[in-house]
Amino acid sequence: MDAPPLTIDHLTKYYGSLCAVDDVSFTIHPGEIFGLLGPNGAGKTSIISTITTLEEPTKGSVSVFGCDVTQNPRKAKQLTGCVPQELVHHGFFSLEEILEIHSGYYGCLNNQDRIDYLIQKLALNRHRHKKIKELSGGLKRRMMIAKALVHRPKLLLLDEPTAGVDIELRALLWDFVRELRLEGVSILLTTHYLEEAEALCDRVLFLDEGKLKLLGEPKYLIRELTEREVVMVLKHPAPPITHPHLVSQTDHQLVFRFAASKSMGELISELPLETKGIQDFIIREGKLEDAFQTIMRGQEDNE
Amino acid sequence: MNSQLLIPFWTIFKREVRRFMKVIFQTIATPLISSSLYLLIFGVSIGEKIDVGKGVSYLAFLIPGLVMMTVLRNSLENAVGSIVTSKFVGELEDLRMAPLSTTQIVWGNGLAAILRGVVVGVVTLGVGYLFFWIADHQIFPVRHPIILTLFLLIGGMAFAHLGLAICMLSTNFEQVSAINTFILLPLIYLGGVFFSLDQLHPFWQALSRFNPLLYMVNGVRFGMLGVSDVSLTLSFSVTIVTWVIFYSLAIWSLKKGSYKRW
Repeated sequence: MDAPPLTIDHLTKYYGSLCAVDDVSFTIHPGEIFGLLGPNGAGKTSIISTITTLEEPTKGSVSVFGCDVTQNPRKAKQLTGCVPQELVHHGFFSLEEILEIHSGYYGCLNNQDRIDYLIQKLALNRHRHKKIKELSGGLKRRMMIAKALVHRPKLLLLDEPTAGVDIELRALLWDFVRELRLEGVSILLTTHYLEEAEALCDRVLFLDEGKLKLLGEPKYLIRELTEREVVMVLKHPAPPITHPHLVSQTDHQLVFRFAASKSMGELISELPLETKGIQDFIIREGKLEDAFQTIMRGQEDNE
Repeated sequence: MNSQLLIPFWTIFKREVRRFMKVIFQTIATPLISSSLYLLIFGVSIGEKIDVGKGVSYLAFLIPGLVMMTVLRNSLENAVGSIVTSKFVGELEDLRMAPLSTTQIVWGNGLAAILRGVVVGVVTLGVGYLFFWIADHQIFPVRHPIILTLFLLIGGMAFAHLGLAICMLSTNFEQVSAINTFILLPLIYLGGVFFSLDQLHPFWQALSRFNPLLYMVNGVRFGMLGVSDVSLTLSFSVTIVTWVIFYSLAIWSLKKGSYKRW
C-alpha cells in the first residue's frame, strides 16, 4: 500500500456555530507514532471522531490508506482500530466474549490465536472470563486496546490512552505501542501529557481551539522553542560578569538560560573565564511542555 | 456468498441471541405469568359471558391474539433493549466504528429479535393449550400452520425493525418510553386481541381498520381457528406493507440516527 496511513486534508468541523476543527491538514507516514496535542476542547477527539465516522466532516476530507472515510467507509474501517477516550462497559459479556464478538464484526472467524496473544500481551489472562463491568478502570482500558487490535489494523487511533492510568500500566502501554510500531502499525495518539508525547512520538502536532499551531519532531521543537538552563560550577569565585544569557551569579555558580540551538562552546568562548577554572556543568534541557508554553505565550502576545 | 458479508451478520445475530439467553428466565417467565393471568381472568372467568359470534369460545378467540401480541411485543422489546443498553454503555459506537453495513445490522438484530418473539410466542401458545384443555377438554386447533408461521414471522420482523428505528432515532430514553406508552400500547390493545370488530361501535370499527395490528392479529387467528374479522388477502397485504415500511425506516435510521452514548 503506497497511500499514507492517514491523510487529513483541510478538515473543518462545526457543531452548530461552534468550530471544533478549523482547516487542519496533516499526513501520517507508515510506521510512525504521531501525537496530537492540545488542551481540553482543542479538537483532538473531533478529529478522531471524523476518522471513525462517528462525525461527518463539515468541510475537507479524511482518508485511511487512500480510502476516503466518507466515500468508502467499510474499507477504511477494516484498516483502522480505535481506542476511544471514554470507557465502554458491555454489561452482558465477558472479556473473551467481547473480543470474539469484535473479531466477528471485522469478519475474522476463528480468531482465538490473536485473542490469546492480545490477552497475554496486555496481561489480562486472569480476567478473561470476568464480565466487563467487574473490571477496574485500568483493566477496562486494556480491554479496549485489545478490542481495537483484534482485526490486526494497520492504523491505530489512541484517544488519551493513559488518562487516569497508573505508572505501571502506563509503562506497559508505552512498551506495547513501541512494539506495535515495530510490527508496522502506524499510530495516532492524542494526549495531555507532553512527557508522553516526547517519549513516544516521532512527530507531534499542537492544536488549540481547533487550529493547527505547530507540527514537527519533538526534538526539533524543543531545540527551536525552548531554552536550556546551564549552571556553571567554578573552582574559585569569579568577578562580576555581564552576559546577555546570564540569569544569576553567586561566588561559585553562574546560571545561564539560552536557546537550545546555541552551542555550549559558543557560550564559553563569549565568557571572560579560563576553561580550567570551571569545575562542572549542570544542564537542564528544555521539555516539550516548555515548547508548548512558548507557543501559547506567543499567541497571547499576538492577541 | 462472501464471508465478509456473512460473518459480521452472523456475529450480530449470535451476540443478540447470547444476550437474551443470559436473561432467559426473565425473558420466558414474564410473558408466561402475564399470559396466564390474561387467560385466567379474561378467557376463563369473564370469557364465559362473552360471545364473539364466530362459532368459537372467547377463550379460543383470545389465544391467537395473545400469542401474536406476545410475539410482537417481545420482538420489539428485544430490539429496543439491545439498542438502549448499547447506547447507555457506549457500545453502540463500536457498531459504527466496525465495517458493518446497515443491512447486516438490521437483519442480524431483526432475526435475533424475531427468534426471541417466536420462542416466547410458543411458550404462550403452550399456556393456551393448557387452559383450553382444562376448559374444554379438547386440543386447541391450528388449522393453517403455514399461514400462521408467515404472519408470526413477518409481523415479528416488522416490530423488531420498528423497535430498532425508534431507538436509533431517539436521543434519550424518555422518547423511547413515550412512543411505547402513547403510540404502541394503544395500537396493541386496540388491535383486535381482546375483541371482535363486530362488537365495536361503527366509529371505532372504522378507526380500527387503520391499525395494522388488527390485520396481523386476525391473520394469526385465521391460521389457528380459520376465522377472521377481515379478509386473509387484505391481512397479508397490510402485514407485508407494514414490514416493508418499518424495514426501510430501520435502514434509514441506522444511516441517519445517532450512535452516541446517552
